[in-house]
Amino acid sequence: MSYSMQKRLVVVSFLFIPVALLLLFLLYPSLRLLQFSLTDWNGMSKSFHYVGFDNYIEAFSNPDVWKALSNNFLYFGIHAAFIPLEVMLAVFLNNKMRASRFFRSIVFMPYILNGVAVAYLFSFLYNPINGPINALLEAVGLESWIRNWLSDKSIVNYSLVVVSLWRFSGLHVVLFLAGLQSIPNDLYEAATIDGAGPLKKFVHITLPGISRVMEIVLFLNVRGALQVFDIPFLMTQGGPGLASTTFTVYTIQTAFKYNNYGLASSLAVILMLMIIVFSYLQGRLFKGKGESS
Amino acid sequence: MNVRTRSLPLLYLLFAAITAVVLFPIAINVMTAFKTPGDLMSSSPLSLPKQWSFGNLKTAFEKGNMLVGFRNTGILVFVSVFLNTILGAMTAYVLNRFNFRLKKLVMGMFIVAMVVPFYTTEVARFQIIKGLGLYDSLGAPLLIYAGTDLLQIFIFLQFIEKISAQLDESAMIDGASYVGIFTRIIFPLLLPASATLGIIKAVDIMNDMYIPYLYMPSKSLHTLSTSLMTFVGQRASSFEQLSAAILIVLIPTLLLYLFLQRYVFSGITAGAVKE
Repeated sequence: MSYSMQKRLVVVSFLFIPVALLLLFLLYPSLRLLQFSLTDWNGMSKSFHYVGFDNYIEAFSNPDVWKALSNNFLYFGIHAAFIPLEVMLAVFLNNKMRASRFFRSIVFMPYILNGVAVAYLFSFLYNPINGPINALLEAVGLESWIRNWLSDKSIVNYSLVVVSLWRFSGLHVVLFLAGLQSIPNDLYEAATIDGAGPLKKFVHITLPGISRVMEIVLFLNVRGALQVFDIPFLMTQGGPGLASTTFTVYTIQTAFKYNNYGLASSLAVILMLMIIVFSYLQGRLFKGKGESS
Repeated sequence: MNVRTRSLPLLYLLFAAITAVVLFPIAINVMTAFKTPGDLMSSSPLSLPKQWSFGNLKTAFEKGNMLVGFRNTGILVFVSVFLNTILGAMTAYVLNRFNFRLKKLVMGMFIVAMVVPFYTTEVARFQIIKGLGLYDSLGAPLLIYAGTDLLQIFIFLQFIEKISAQLDESAMIDGASYVGIFTRIIFPLLLPASATLGIIKAVDIMNDMYIPYLYMPSKSLHTLSTSLMTFVGQRASSFEQLSAAILIVLIPTLLLYLFLQRYVFSGITAGAVKE
């Protein structure tokens, strides 16, 4: 068989399954979401009516949706606030201190653990009656800090964000560390010869050196924070009431619990748009900063 | 950059504190899993078990349907990682070695797929899975996991770029077909990258809960994650048994991390840092 003939066959046959899976399970469902979002479908009946943008109007005017979204922003904000600390830890770990490898292993460990197991483990830790966290507070004389960590509306979200931090901060540290390790050492040596101090080196070598990783971490944070699901779903089901619900938990419950596929689909479309817009804005903001410095 | 030696003790203190924060939940979990119910009731949750009892682990393993969980998770991991690796390598090979119409379109579709949200897409995917007759079968997660994604393709592309095209050309002089070049030259040279990517994919699958939860409700199809969810639903108040079940589910990825840490780290960072 000639190579040009072969080429055609190989291109088509090698790409057929991957592209078919992509279309079938990711792109086609996204288009269907667009379609469902304009209907009153309940997920079961054979027929549905097109209702225009009613679902979108309902989504935007529904206070529960905004409540859920504000919870997502709490995850986003607190995770973002931890990024400087994560960079600092990565810098320390990069300093070849003894046991650096051991600490790296420890810091990253929560990330690879089973998320369901971790969620239930923290549910137990937060238990109000004889729970380990309250017992620890008692043991160190901080009885006044004891709370109903998961049933008090004013703190339940913070309790859940802590679980998220425990699980995901290590990933960021390890990514920053990899970024730091990719910076050639002679840059620092040259800077030392030129008489640059530690702060100057940090601003002019370290920060630009990890800018690519920073972009990735920021993207992961936007995507992760907008899609927080398993921690509240498993630990509180979004409760008490809707106190700890998130955009994704609310969407999933709208679809599979209340059978309102139209509204749920419009929420899913809005989520997709938010991921695109926020990633883009953050990228622009970040690029702008990088150029001005 | 060097931290002055004076601040080193502080640094160790900081990392010791972080280590404590990481290990505290796990230590509590292990201790609770080995306590008898009476022991748990009468003593502080922070204390060691009076006597280490394996009863909870046995109960959790048997009543928690863990054997089925291990089996199904095992099948999903091995079959999906196998399929996913081959499909990913094939896609990267074609995208790197050939120019063809629609190449940009194919890349574009993988890029668009990056912003499709994880969980909410299930609202529409659910209907497709049902329509294909895959609902409540291992086929549903298998096909979803087998699909390749942009990050995987990028990492494979990085590796393929380093494989000299002269290898292909000399094989062609010897009369090798493109399929032969892929199976005998390219794919074997991609094995180190595949191992790294495979480990990460395996961890993702082992830890996934929503796809098995949504698409495989039958008890005989439960994975480790969904077995644990069911067990927790049944015994919400028996913390020593719950801790034992949690411990059982934590062990597989923990072991994998202990023995294959190097691959885990290189897999996590492969996409973030250019070699």
